Amino acid sequence: MRDSSPIAYPALSQRLFSVWYRHMRVYTKNLLSNGLPPFLEPLLFLLGVGLGLGKYITETMDGLPYINFLGTGLLVTAAMFTAAYECTFGTFIRLEFEKVYDGMLAAPITVNNLIVGEIIWAGTKGLFFTFAVLCVLMAFGIVELPAGLLTPLVGFLTGMMFATLSLWVTSFVKTINHFNFYLTGIISPMFFFSGVVFPVSNLPSKIRFVAEIVPLTHAVRLSRAVCSSHYTPALLASVAYVIVFTVIFGAMAIQRLRRRLVT
Amino acid sequence: MKIISVQNVNKRFGKVHAVCGLSFEVEEGTCFGLLGPNGAGKTTMMKMIYGRSSRTAGDDGAIRAFGYDPARDELAIKYLSGVVSQENNLDDELNVIQNLMIYSKFYGLPASVARERIGVLLEFLELSEKAQARTRELSGGMQRRLVIARALLNNPKLLILDEPTTGLDPQVRHLIWDRLRQLRSQGTTILLTTHYMEEAFQICDTVLIMDKGRRVLEDNPRRLLRENIEAYVLEVPTANGMPAIDETRLPTGVRLDRTDGTLRFYAEQIERLKDVVERLSGEQYYIRQSTLEDVFLKATGRALNERQ
Repeated sequence: MRDSSPIAYPALSQRLFSVWYRHMRVYTKNLLSNGLPPFLEPLLFLLGVGLGLGKYITETMDGLPYINFLGTGLLVTAAMFTAAYECTFGTFIRLEFEKVYDGMLAAPITVNNLIVGEIIWAGTKGLFFTFAVLCVLMAFGIVELPAGLLTPLVGFLTGMMFATLSLWVTSFVKTINHFNFYLTGIISPMFFFSGVVFPVSNLPSKIRFVAEIVPLTHAVRLSRAVCSSHYTPALLASVAYVIVFTVIFGAMAIQRLRRRLVT
Repeated sequence: MKIISVQNVNKRFGKVHAVCGLSFEVEEGTCFGLLGPNGAGKTTMMKMIYGRSSRTAGDDGAIRAFGYDPARDELAIKYLSGVVSQENNLDDELNVIQNLMIYSKFYGLPASVARERIGVLLEFLELSEKAQARTRELSGGMQRRLVIARALLNNPKLLILDEPTTGLDPQVRHLIWDRLRQLRSQGTTILLTTHYMEEAFQICDTVLIMDKGRRVLEDNPRRLLRENIEAYVLEVPTANGMPAIDETRLPTGVRLDRTDGTLRFYAEQIERLKDVVERLSGEQYYIRQSTLEDVFLKATGRALNERQ
């Protein structure tokens, strides 16, 4: 845009905020049905798997009792799942069924503003979902405080990272059923093989490099480091991974969705 | 002052040439209608004006709204305009006021200003009683009026409407037409698409009749009627077989147009058509004044509401 433009349309920050605000208002409209599951899910998971199954697991994992190991992983998988659903089904429904974007793009925002707003919103949901898991972990007394209070920030970054990947996937999808390939074929396996339920170091060496490539592994490392306040130089690689991944997939998602939104 | 200026604009979707070398201008404070059947390129043309569709690059094509090129300054154009798209796209979960409050943020309106403005708009579109209703509980006509209210939030200088009254009952349609006339008299420029001839006739100062992406005719609707079509039409359905009329021996001043299912005889004097009626052998017939639809039929050689 030209800086010389005399029309005082809202600044970038206001434009991004208004996209975020729209999603926030719609999401919080059904506070009970939208706000309760993020607390219940980790509760059930920790009760069933962590305590129930965990009783038989006497070994520590990466130096942590099993329920602590699992819990600190769940902090970021919650952010991953919510961002992945929000930016696949949620985005697709807004795009194709509800035609919400038709209305939003008639207002003074660009497609780039719209997509970046979606990513920030998904990050916010990631933050909230991680916070919900954190509350459950605190109730179980299995997270160190105050260090653990920083984990929602990791959830925010995780949410944004998975938002960009999911939006990029969405840009290819023509019918809503195709998301099953992505969610069952990519997101769910990541849950099992990225060091959440067992350490990556236990994977056969031949497929260990796969775990190093996928994004969740790095989010989990950040989460565990924050929880234990145990920061190592190697963590910088994970930080860099999250940033570079978000920027690259964000740019690709914007480029492809722009072609879909501006005909 | 010209609010919109479109010069030799083309739009291709692959092999489909949706808009072909279209040019027109919209004067400030007037209502301009793009009229034509589905698939004529009306919506595409309209979307190019506010940057939702990009024109296919060509030698000398250009679009300006308020002097801005939508390819470069879509934000300025959208800030000065209100858009009512073809589908209602409201947020179903929210109530009427919340729907509007969300959109006030896009224009950076402070909450107090927005609330006041929303009150005025709900009054204007006769929605005040529904202020707290969820949008999914609104009738189609109310939803449409709410979308129009949303487009008016920022006091737009240009209001763009894509088929504003399609599928609405006559009362709502007349209410919307009335409000659009009021807005125009207050200086708002209006651009709309429609496939209702009556809508164009009722509210447009200028109509551009489009077919297959091209301009067919453009003028004031009354003048279009006066200068392009005979005053009266006699319609004879042919569903029950062809009437035994010798087409080569029609009375002078009578023109015959055949489309699937109907013979249409046109004449300036109604008496000439009565002469034709006398030659019918008991077929049903209908004599009426001609409308823009007949202009369209004459200009394009095909009926409007069949086959689209």
